[in-house]
Amino acid sequence: MNYNETQLIAIKEFLYKIADDQLIIGHRNSEWTGLGPLVEEDIAFSSIAQDKIGQAQHIYEILHSLGEADADTIAFTRSAADFKSCHLAEYPIGEYDFSLMRNFLFNHAEKIRFEMLADTSLEQLGKLAKKYRGEIKYHTMHADTWVKQLGRANEESHARMQTALNETFNLALGIFEESEYAGELKNMGIFEGEDILQQKWIEAITPILEAATLVIPDKNTWQPVYGGRKGYHTEYLEPMLEEMGEVFRLDPKAEW
Amino acid sequence: MKSIDPRINRLNLPENNDGKEVLDKLEQWETYEVFHQKKRGDQHVHVGIVHAANPELAIIMAKEAFGRRRQTANLWVVKSSAVTATDYDDQDIFETTPEKTYREASDYYCMDRIRKYQQEHGIKDRKEDRRKKKESV
Amino acid sequence: MYGNAQIDSKDKARSLTEGEDPIKLAEFEARIIRGEKIEPKDWMPAAYRKQLIRMIEQHAHSEIIGALPEGTWITRAPGFRRKLALMAKVQDEVGHAQLLYSAAETLGKTRENMINDLINGKSKYSNVFNYPAMTWADTAIIAWLIDAGAIINQVTNSKGSYGPYCRALERICSEESFHLKYGHDNVVFLSTGTQQQREMVQDALNRWWTPIMHFHGPPDKVSQHTEVLMRWKVKMASNDDMRYRFLDEYVPKIWDLGLTIPDPKLCKNEETGVWEYTEPDWDEFKRVINGDGPCNKERLQVRRWAEEKGAWVRRALLKAETKYTIPLA
Repeated sequence: MNYNETQLIAIKEFLYKIADDQLIIGHRNSEWTGLGPLVEEDIAFSSIAQDKIGQAQHIYEILHSLGEADADTIAFTRSAADFKSCHLAEYPIGEYDFSLMRNFLFNHAEKIRFEMLADTSLEQLGKLAKKYRGEIKYHTMHADTWVKQLGRANEESHARMQTALNETFNLALGIFEESEYAGELKNMGIFEGEDILQQKWIEAITPILEAATLVIPDKNTWQPVYGGRKGYHTEYLEPMLEEMGEVFRLDPKAEW
Repeated sequence: MKSIDPRINRLNLPENNDGKEVLDKLEQWETYEVFHQKKRGDQHVHVGIVHAANPELAIIMAKEAFGRRRQTANLWVVKSSAVTATDYDDQDIFETTPEKTYREASDYYCMDRIRKYQQEHGIKDRKEDRRKKKESV
Repeated sequence: MYGNAQIDSKDKARSLTEGEDPIKLAEFEARIIRGEKIEPKDWMPAAYRKQLIRMIEQHAHSEIIGALPEGTWITRAPGFRRKLALMAKVQDEVGHAQLLYSAAETLGKTRENMINDLINGKSKYSNVFNYPAMTWADTAIIAWLIDAGAIINQVTNSKGSYGPYCRALERICSEESFHLKYGHDNVVFLSTGTQQQREMVQDALNRWWTPIMHFHGPPDKVSQHTEVLMRWKVKMASNDDMRYRFLDEYVPKIWDLGLTIPDPKLCKNEETGVWEYTEPDWDEFKRVINGDGPCNKERLQVRRWAEEKGAWVRRALLKAETKYTIPLA
C-alpha cells in the first residue's frame, strides 16, 4: 500500500498513540507485581500488564515496518516529549482503587477501539486487533467484576471507588484527544474517529458503573485532560521512562 | 526505609515493623476447587484451588492461576464446601474391583475350544485356510 | 523455589514418633514403603504433619519473597524480550506460592495464619532472598543458578510421600523449566557481550556465590531425626547431596562461559568424584536467617505493606456467612 507523506504521518501518529498507551499503562500495572491484595489477584493483574506490553511490542513492530526504529529502540530510548500516550496511563499506581478504576476506564476504551479496528484498511493493525480480542475481553471482565463488586460492597469500598472514578474520569477523557489527522484517518478507512469512540465508551461504561452504584461526573463538569497526544506530559512520565530505560540505555547497541 | 528498588522506594515504607498481625480470620475468603478442560472434547480435570469471595471472582482468579500457562478451553469452579468425597478409610470398598476380570475383554479367550471342536468334527477353519494359502504362495 | 525440611531445635529432645498409636504408625509407614501417597484426610503422626506444614509453608513464603529481588528489576528490564520474560517468571513465582499455600492448607493451617507468621518473622523463608539484587546481572544469576538449585530440590522432593505437595511440585517443575533457560540465556548474553556486560555478570556471580553455596542448607549431621524423616519421605536427600548435584551440573557450565568462581579451592577430585570447596561461612548463614541480613527488614516490610494496603479490598468482600473448609487435595 502506498501512502503519501501526510498519510504516513497520520498512520504513524495513530499507531504510536495506541502502542504508547499500552506500554505505559502496562509498565505501571507491572509495578503491582508481588504487592497485590491477594495472591491470586496479584497473578491476574501482572498477567494483564504483560498482555499490554506484548501488544505494544507488536504495534511498534508495525511502525518498524513503516520505517521507524526497531521496537526496543522506540520503547526504551525516546524521551517524554516523543510519547503520544494519554496522561491517564502515566500516573503513579496509587492504591488499588485508583489502579483498578484506571484499568476499567482504559480497557473499555481499548476494547471498543479494537472492535472499531477490526475492519480497518490498515491490514496489519486489523489483524492484531482481531487477535487480541480475547485478551482485551478478559481485561474488561476482570475490571468489570472488581468495579461492580467493590462499588457495592461496603461504605469504604464504595467511597474509594467513587473517589477513584472522580480522580480518573477527566484523565480518561484525555484518551479521546483527537488528532489533527483525524480526517486523513477517516478518509483512508483506517479509523472512524475519537468522538465516535468516546460516545461508544460512555455507552459501555454507564450501565456497569450504575450496577456498581457509582456516579459518573455530570457532563457539565467534564474537563478532558488533553496534551498527551501532542507530546505534553505530566512530571511523572520522564522519570518513569528513565527508569524503564535505565539498563537498556547503558548501551543501546548491546544485546541483552 | 530506603531500598535499591525504585518502586519499593515509591511505597514510602516505615522504618519499623510493629509486629502486629495483619490478617483477620477468614480474610483470605473461602476456597473453590478448580476444574480445567484443555480442549473441547476433553474431560474437565481437577487442578487445584483458588481463594475467592464469590463464584464470579473465583472464575476471574482461576483464569490466570490455572489458564495462564496451559492450553485451556473451559473452567469450572466449585466451592470446596460443596464437594462430597469418599473417605480414604473406605478405600477398601474399591479393593476387589480389579479382580472382576469377567468385566475385561482380555478375560475372554476360546480359540482352544473352537479348534478342538473343529478337529473332532472335521470342520475347516476358513481363517486358517486363507493363512495357509497365503503362506504357500 | 526452595524447600527443605529443617528440624526445630525444640523437637530434638523428643522422638518424632513419641505418643503415636503403634498400629496406625505401622500402617502409615507401610503405605509409604509401598510408594503410595499420603492424602490430606489420612491418619498421620503429629510430627509428620508439623514438619510438612513448616516445609511447605517455608517453600511458599520463599516464592513470594523471591518475587522481590527479581521484581526490583521488572521496571528496568532492557528490551521487550527480557521485560516480558522477567514479568512472566515473577508471575510464575507468585503462582507457585499460591500452589504451595494451597498444599499446606490441606494439612490444616489457614493462609491467614501463614501470612501473619511470615510478616511477624515467626515463619522462615529461603535465606538467599535476604540479599539484594544490586544490578540487572544479579537477576540473571538468580534466575539461572538459584532456580537451578531450587529445581534440584523440587525434583527430588516431588517424589516425597505427601500427595498435595508432590502434585504442586510437579506443576512447579514444569513451569520452572523456562525459568532456568531464561536465566541461562540471560547470563550467556551478558558473559559473551560487551566488556561492561561481562564485568557486570562476573561481579554479580562473585557477590552471589556465598548465598548460592548456602542455598541447600548447612551440612547434615546424621541424627535420629534425619533417619525418621527420610523413612517418611519428608526429607528425600541430604543437604550435601543436593549441593553436590548442583555443583556437578552447574560449575562446568559456569566455567564454560569463561566466568570465574570466587573460590580458589573449588574443583572436582577426579579420583573420588567429589567436589572440594571452601566451606562457606555458616555463621553468616545463621545470622542472616535469624534476621540480620541486608534485606530481611525490607522484605517483611514490603509484605506487611502489601497486606495492609490490600486489607480494605479483602474486608469489603468478606461476607458474614463465610465458612472455611480445608481444601480437599
